[in-house]
Amino acid sequence: MASTNQFLASMARLSLSPSTRPSAIAIPNFLLPSITAPLVRHASGAGGMKKRPAKKKKTYKSFRSYDLSPMEQFTLCDAMRYIRAFEVGRPPTSVKYEIALKLKTQKNGPVLRNRIRLPFPVKTDTRIAVICPEDSPLLAEAQQLGAVAVGEESLFNAIREGNIPFNKLICHTDSEAALRKANLGKLLGPKGLMPSQKTKTITSNLKATMQELIGADEYRERNGVVRLAVGQLGFTPQMLADNVKAFMGNVKSDINEIDDTFGKGVDEVVLSSTNGPGFSLNGGFSPSDEKIQPEHLQSVM
Amino acid sequence: MVGPFQLLGIRHGPGAAILPTNVTRIHMEFAHKINDGHMGPKKFWREHLPRLKFWNPAIPMIVNRTTDQLGPATMTLYFRDDGAPAASKSELPQPSSSSTGHSKAPEPSEGERAVTIDMKNRRSEVILKDFMDMTGAVPVIPTPQEEAEMRDAAELKQRGEIDRERVRKMLEAERREAAMISQARSEAAALKAAA
Repeated sequence: MASTNQFLASMARLSLSPSTRPSAIAIPNFLLPSITAPLVRHASGAGGMKKRPAKKKKTYKSFRSYDLSPMEQFTLCDAMRYIRAFEVGRPPTSVKYEIALKLKTQKNGPVLRNRIRLPFPVKTDTRIAVICPEDSPLLAEAQQLGAVAVGEESLFNAIREGNIPFNKLICHTDSEAALRKANLGKLLGPKGLMPSQKTKTITSNLKATMQELIGADEYRERNGVVRLAVGQLGFTPQMLADNVKAFMGNVKSDINEIDDTFGKGVDEVVLSSTNGPGFSLNGGFSPSDEKIQPEHLQSVM
Repeated sequence: MVGPFQLLGIRHGPGAAILPTNVTRIHMEFAHKINDGHMGPKKFWREHLPRLKFWNPAIPMIVNRTTDQLGPATMTLYFRDDGAPAASKSELPQPSSSSTGHSKAPEPSEGERAVTIDMKNRRSEVILKDFMDMTGAVPVIPTPQEEAEMRDAAELKQRGEIDRERVRKMLEAERREAAMISQARSEAAALKAAA
């Protein structure tokens, strides 16, 4: 019983709150440290929380390439079988097969950029405009070759007004000076239409260039990957294989043209489609399922 | 990039079945939106048709989507008559799929008969059951290895649910605390300004 009595006192003290005057508003200490509690310094020396220098982020000179050995890779027909299943019931002309070609490459240095004429063209709506001196035989020639817009100053004016009925623009060497004077880089540059020697769109041979442009697709390397639409959903396996082969051959020859010191090379080839997932290709063609023949993959979609 | 179980989902599940050889083609017609009973057909197209197409790549499966919500939602199955010569599929007059309603169900060619299923106002599973009964399709049985993978997928999904719930709670608590602090801070600032 003595023990209870002993505790009673302390219990009583606990229940009695110290009679402090209630402050008007209670502001938590952590909110206004400067008002409530003056900054207290401890004699712990200058050490304590010494700020470490910010860790330098490691930078890589080349794009990362992954180990492909644990990855599932597909033959072309297997990938097509899956893609056709994913794309079933879609209008076959608007759905495209795409290739993403991952390169082993440095982040700086030259990039691949070229045109290719695929054995089976993917899109056929190329509309070309030609810049050439007005009232010259070139103008008639360009129109004969199927240009949708021709001329010099008239064409420039149309472009300035936003009237651009074409998706390819080439310039004859005779009009190069006029083009430079017209100052259209701001308008045409973002659209990728500005003619330049580099893209071989300033030319003295209109016929050859236009024939090359019609049915030709441009590709370029961005972030270490070259992407290109290589087929429509309705293509047969053989047609797609031909297109992929042509594209690979073209890219490889482009790589060979670039100086060896940059060490470019093909890393991975991924076949994808407009609404489907990507399939890493292993270079084979035939289906792995013996019940499926390549002919089965060419029915109407 | 293929997801870990994405391809498994197209190989197996409802609709993974091999059609008998007398089925020559399949045609579906329904509207773009789900209003007025077009949800079942749309689901059938998105969920079951890819599996059917995977297992029967040679059979044309044509989808004709129209803009007419009040229009019909039908599936037409084409069977080759017994004894009719096996016509090569490329010879059939066959329009391709359309999203603008331009490929109506073609008339059955010679030696072919067509069966229609009305899909309007019906769930996709019911449509699939009808489809399986009418065609006599044989469901594909996954191999033991694939079954194990499917179990893994289900387990991962379940685990994901639990984790999502956990993270949701954590984030909510974090946000509540942040809101309280910011409110208190603004009140304190107001007091300070008044003082």
